[in-house]
Amino acid sequence: MLRKSIPFALAMLVFAAACAPSAHDEGSIETVTLPSPDSPLVAVHLLFKVGSMHDPAGKQGLAALTGMMVGDAGTSEHTYSELIDLLYPMASDIEVDTDREITVISGVAHSETLADYTDLLTEAVLEPRFDERDLSRNKEQLMAYLTTTLRATNDELLGLEGIQQAIFNDHPYKNSSAGTVEGLESITVDDVKSFYQQHYTQANLMLGVGGGYSEDYLASLKKTLSALPAGEASDSVTLPEPTPVEGRQFTLIEKETDSVGIHFGHALPINRSNPDYYPLMVANSYLGEHRTFHGRLMQQLRGKRGLNYGDYSYIEYWHLPPLTTTPSPGYPRNQQYFSVWVRPVVPTTAHFALRDAIYEVDRLLERGLTQEEFELTRDFLINYSKLWAQTLSDRLAVLMDSMYYRMPYYIDEIETRLNGLSVEDVNAAVKKYLQTDDFHAVMVTNNAAAAKAYLEADQPSPMQYNSDPDPEVIEDDKTIQAIAVNPASIEIIPVAEMFQR
Amino acid sequence: MCNKLLVALAVLGVTVIAVAPASAEDEIFPYTIHEKTLDNGLRIVVIPYDSPGTVAFMTAVRTGSRDEVEPGHSGFAHFFEHMMFRGTDKYSGDEYNDLLKRMGADSNADTSDDRTRYYLTGPAVELETMMDMESDRFKHLDYSEEVFKREALAVLGEYNKNISSPFLPMWERLRELAFQQHTYSHTTMGYLDDIKAMPDYYDYSLGFFARFYRPENSVLLVVGDADPEEVFTLAAKYYGDWEPGYQEPTVAAEPPQEEHQESHIDWPAPIRPYLMAGYRIPAFSSETVDTAALGIIEQLLFSESAPLYQQLMVEDQWVDSLQTINFDHRDPYLFTIFSRIKSNDLVPKVQAAIDEHIQKLQDELVDAEYLERVKSHMRYSFALGLNSPDALRDVIGTYLWVTGDPSEVNRIYAQYQKVTPEDIQRVARETFQPNQTTTVTLSYPASDEAATGATTGAGR
Repeated sequence: MLRKSIPFALAMLVFAAACAPSAHDEGSIETVTLPSPDSPLVAVHLLFKVGSMHDPAGKQGLAALTGMMVGDAGTSEHTYSELIDLLYPMASDIEVDTDREITVISGVAHSETLADYTDLLTEAVLEPRFDERDLSRNKEQLMAYLTTTLRATNDELLGLEGIQQAIFNDHPYKNSSAGTVEGLESITVDDVKSFYQQHYTQANLMLGVGGGYSEDYLASLKKTLSALPAGEASDSVTLPEPTPVEGRQFTLIEKETDSVGIHFGHALPINRSNPDYYPLMVANSYLGEHRTFHGRLMQQLRGKRGLNYGDYSYIEYWHLPPLTTTPSPGYPRNQQYFSVWVRPVVPTTAHFALRDAIYEVDRLLERGLTQEEFELTRDFLINYSKLWAQTLSDRLAVLMDSMYYRMPYYIDEIETRLNGLSVEDVNAAVKKYLQTDDFHAVMVTNNAAAAKAYLEADQPSPMQYNSDPDPEVIEDDKTIQAIAVNPASIEIIPVAEMFQR
Repeated sequence: MCNKLLVALAVLGVTVIAVAPASAEDEIFPYTIHEKTLDNGLRIVVIPYDSPGTVAFMTAVRTGSRDEVEPGHSGFAHFFEHMMFRGTDKYSGDEYNDLLKRMGADSNADTSDDRTRYYLTGPAVELETMMDMESDRFKHLDYSEEVFKREALAVLGEYNKNISSPFLPMWERLRELAFQQHTYSHTTMGYLDDIKAMPDYYDYSLGFFARFYRPENSVLLVVGDADPEEVFTLAAKYYGDWEPGYQEPTVAAEPPQEEHQESHIDWPAPIRPYLMAGYRIPAFSSETVDTAALGIIEQLLFSESAPLYQQLMVEDQWVDSLQTINFDHRDPYLFTIFSRIKSNDLVPKVQAAIDEHIQKLQDELVDAEYLERVKSHMRYSFALGLNSPDALRDVIGTYLWVTGDPSEVNRIYAQYQKVTPEDIQRVARETFQPNQTTTVTLSYPASDEAATGATTGAGR
């Protein structure tokens, strides 16, 4: 029960780290720290460099399932139910998240419960129970995600996975991080044990600790984690270049739906550790910063034409948890891609919306940014990016991502790099890295045959508005409606085949 | 324990709750709340917080879909939220967006049953600009009929993006069955037919702005690197001439529910079945322990540690998702359960298990030690959640629109402190009555075998 002695004055939570973040390589565990001595909270992140790209053939989903058998299952000392009971009064979770390259086991605890929490967290990581019932439950969770959440209840997540499958076909990134239905079905407890023993090693671990912890705490935690086998780094797996796309290749995912969602894009040869990423970041923000109203795509497709709810562009993978507007840390990927996302439109405007989005990318390619647009966008990003890591846990995750990419703290790097840019740098990067001649496009639709027919016919797709649009819209539409989409190929995939094997 | 990959399921929000002693010096909320009300009735709340260089700024209008009393206008409060970004004489929509971009703010708005809120988080040095641009649109919003009609299409697009989830049709059905008189009978998104008719209501929209977007129906909240006196001075400068004139709508009271309501929705594609059950509950109140007791019951039944959750999720593994929707409301509302079940044949078994555990709460006093564990969880959950200016904005914001008073946070948590096993039993008996329950199920109308196939490899 709450007593006066309990320090509820949590106002001491320091927003910006009181001390500089740092990375060490003491012993064999790579460690990242973000001390904030006055904070009553401590965040602990264990980043293992193993993700769905390391799933063995036929066992797609093994990395995610292994992560859950560590972070969402029992330990040798406690059943899963007992573990939950122990964690519950602290209101701290053991969170687990597997992406293409990494798996993060993490949590935040109050300093009052930190010792007990840490015991449970390390117990989970060092001594997984590998219980059959835990396997069955976690497998069901992943299966339900693939077969119901993605296939049947969330067209937008479906499209997001679809465009990645198209761009990274024949690449270790192809499958959802949750794996495939047949892959999951084939996974046994022995598979999980073997995968754990191979990949949950000191060599694969990056430890992150942030907040009001002591040096003794950190030393003790590292000592405990040194019980992991030394192992060998599994990030040495070769990451091939995605197969280059030739022409505009369409995938139509057919399912029951009232609207049409559209993505198109192509692989990029750079990520945020490359200096060229930053001029491209300015151009992308100008074109379609996620969930803002000032990107060109948003202004033109939604603002001036009322086509849908939102239109954005990206130069790296965007994780899409509900309701967030800024990029989520914790999903570093060495191989990135450019993409445009047109949120669901009514079927009668899908052809036009696709053309309009292509038109906007082409416009960017042809005219670039003006000096004024460049300065406005650059200054926006420098300020806006400071909001991307408001919580202790997010700041620690951004720092660990940065270490993963072997680069300075990302948000500082944005300011440094952007302050050194000119509009010419930005426009050169656009021409160097973006294009619309060769891309993959994915459309989620209930009538793929009709979509295929209008894409192949490539006839003009004039808009019918419910009110008089601006004169410049009428003028631009004459061009947009007749843009040759010229698809190189069109493949129809019934949604039931998605994520199957 | 939580898998972030699966978090797409958990879109329904979480009730943030905790406990606190009653004495002022031990109030749960650890930050000082500064308040002032302007002559025109606008309330300003400032909470200094250690976020160097950053403030979270919010305007809440205490009008939401609850206020859509005229037939055929469901969803209008939400639609109007969109119109608020369409500019004024001083700052056109494009200029408003340019200002936001110039300051690097994170900005958006959302609407729910009881309110519409507009928020931006950005540099503290831009606070005066925020006051200027925000006050301007609340005083002088101006848009053409063409722009109005176009924006209605964006709302239709929003409906279209949401309707691919079974949640929205189930939510629509549950509410229209549970409420016959009160406007909580429709969702905030509104009915599709009403959304399609929106382009014809330009004149209605002007009246909507004039009736509801008034200072005495609104509140400003500033959290972060801000001096309260400076905020009050700026607010007086920019909002002082906002003319009052709020016309409170007459929202019909909902009579007691007489009998159990149930309905089923067929889904056109293979899917795991869903169960939604709503129980009528009183309006939010910190005057008694009842709201707090219900918050604790939510934990006793549906937290990860709860026996029911353990049975359904961990032991029997009949469900892969079990959530509650329990947001504080101005008027009597619903405590709602939402679950995704492994196969069609298990739906009645899951319903029976839920009923059984509710019955146990009604029949037996909850163990005092277990109750203390729940209160500990709530206390730490509250503490861990106050981790950014935006988080504080969200915690305090709820009370600003439910009762208008940010100090509710301390009063309600004082009530949590007082909840006894007897309170739990009494509130469980009063709330979970068959005649106060509405149940909606959704499934693919094939055989159980086919529906199960959806989970294990349909379309192979």
